[in-house]
Amino acid sequence: MSMWLSAGRILKFGFQDIARNVWLSLVTVMILVLTLFSVNLLLAVQAISGAAVDTIKNKIDVSLYLSPEAPADKIAVLKARISAMSIVSSVDFVSQEEALKRFQKFNVKDSTINQALSTLNSNPLAPSLVIKPSETGRFDELLTALNKIDDPLIQARDFDNYKTILDKIDAITKKVSEAGFFVSGLFMLITLLVIFNTAKVAIYTHRNEIGIMRLVGASNWFIKAPFLISAFLYTLFSSIFVVIVFYLFLNLLQPYLEAFFVGYTFNIMAYFTANFWAIFGLQFLVAALVNMLASWLAVSKYSNV
Amino acid sequence: MIKFKGVSKLYNDNVVALDNVSFYIKSGEFVSLVGQSGAGKTTLVKMLIGEENPSEGRIEVGGWDITRLRGSEVPHLRRQIATIFQDYKLLPKKTLLENVEFALQVCGKSMKKIKLVAPQVMRIVGLESKMHRYPHEVSGGERQRTAIARSLVYQPKILLADEPTGNLDSINAKEIVDLLLKINSFGTTVVLVTHNRDVVNKLRKRVLTLHEGRLVSDQAVGKYII
Repeated sequence: MSMWLSAGRILKFGFQDIARNVWLSLVTVMILVLTLFSVNLLLAVQAISGAAVDTIKNKIDVSLYLSPEAPADKIAVLKARISAMSIVSSVDFVSQEEALKRFQKFNVKDSTINQALSTLNSNPLAPSLVIKPSETGRFDELLTALNKIDDPLIQARDFDNYKTILDKIDAITKKVSEAGFFVSGLFMLITLLVIFNTAKVAIYTHRNEIGIMRLVGASNWFIKAPFLISAFLYTLFSSIFVVIVFYLFLNLLQPYLEAFFVGYTFNIMAYFTANFWAIFGLQFLVAALVNMLASWLAVSKYSNV
Repeated sequence: MIKFKGVSKLYNDNVVALDNVSFYIKSGEFVSLVGQSGAGKTTLVKMLIGEENPSEGRIEVGGWDITRLRGSEVPHLRRQIATIFQDYKLLPKKTLLENVEFALQVCGKSMKKIKLVAPQVMRIVGLESKMHRYPHEVSGGERQRTAIARSLVYQPKILLADEPTGNLDSINAKEIVDLLLKINSFGTTVVLVTHNRDVVNKLRKRVLTLHEGRLVSDQAVGKYII
């Protein structure tokens, strides 16, 4: 038989099988859709939790407290020197007056502090440089670099608190990541089993048909290939459907995320779009391979007569 | 055409399905293979279509030793020995014509030839007007005639009919047997496996009788004796 004739017939039978078993095809596609949707939901949860940790880390900055008598030009030189560091994202100067305003605003309900401030005739707070790192992961590097600056303008540099907070956040991040890894692994295993079983059930319903094909002299390849094509098409339809449904879901989710991440830009749709092929492409490939492998094994079992 | 030489079949639990069976069927013969349930008829059919291998002995079809067939050789054997069964074994999601066409498609016949041969064969078995129906839309006799049509498209040397009248009433059964006789008259060797006493006795053809796995009788013009 010519290769093209054979391939054409195998393709035809693959499409015919889907069209003439509409309910079975629908059920198979729906199971795959639900499974792939769950996988993407888990990915979304991981992306959101990662963004939440990043948001907290981004809110951490360090302050260098300066001498109250420090002249503005020297402060500007020091600020420029720190800004030039590659590990620094931004440096903001907070004057004595601004520091006092912020302190009063923060402690507006604390009468003891307000009373203590009013008894003082002068501003007890020092001006400062508020420094944010370019990457949260390079916080230690930043603190080391700041400690090395030997400038008489600097009055105080106590970074212990920041280290403690960072260590705690890192510990939480590590635990979240470990839990995520475990849940993802478990989920992947369940997903693979569901896809595997769905394919086997689909083939099981065709067991008599496979026996008949064998009986009329169909070769192994001629029997198996249409089922492999069906499995491929089921996965393709499911993957396309999942992309459509999942983007609709993300669209509904985004306003809630914006309300949650106030002052921080996080777009879950943009995240999935940026990683579209890595997420949906890989999912399709793995699901198609598992589905086709399961179909191959199941057809082999029933065509062995 | 078909040669069984000292063929035995033992299953795992030491059940003897066939015990030292030997016979020879000439080309163009019409032979009935009879016996009660459990006599070994089904095992013999399975061996003829390469579904089972004998534990001992040798089987030849048209000089081809099929005793130990490789998996890849089975489709070729089944294109030479056409088989029809009691339960018709039609593909339920294909029309009667598509069932017949499918047999030609799997052996790589061109579309032109398929479109020529399949309707012709449907005409021979008298199903021209119903060939676009699905199996569940026609009677048992019509399904069996479709199965026969499907078996004919290969122009097989041997037609193996395993209880073809088992699910049919007497009128439909007679029509099927008449069709088998017609096919035999064209030169095809027909092996009819049955336990239908009336059918065998009316045929007045060669009868092989199996009993408890052994060939107990081989009559040139035989009757159902058990």
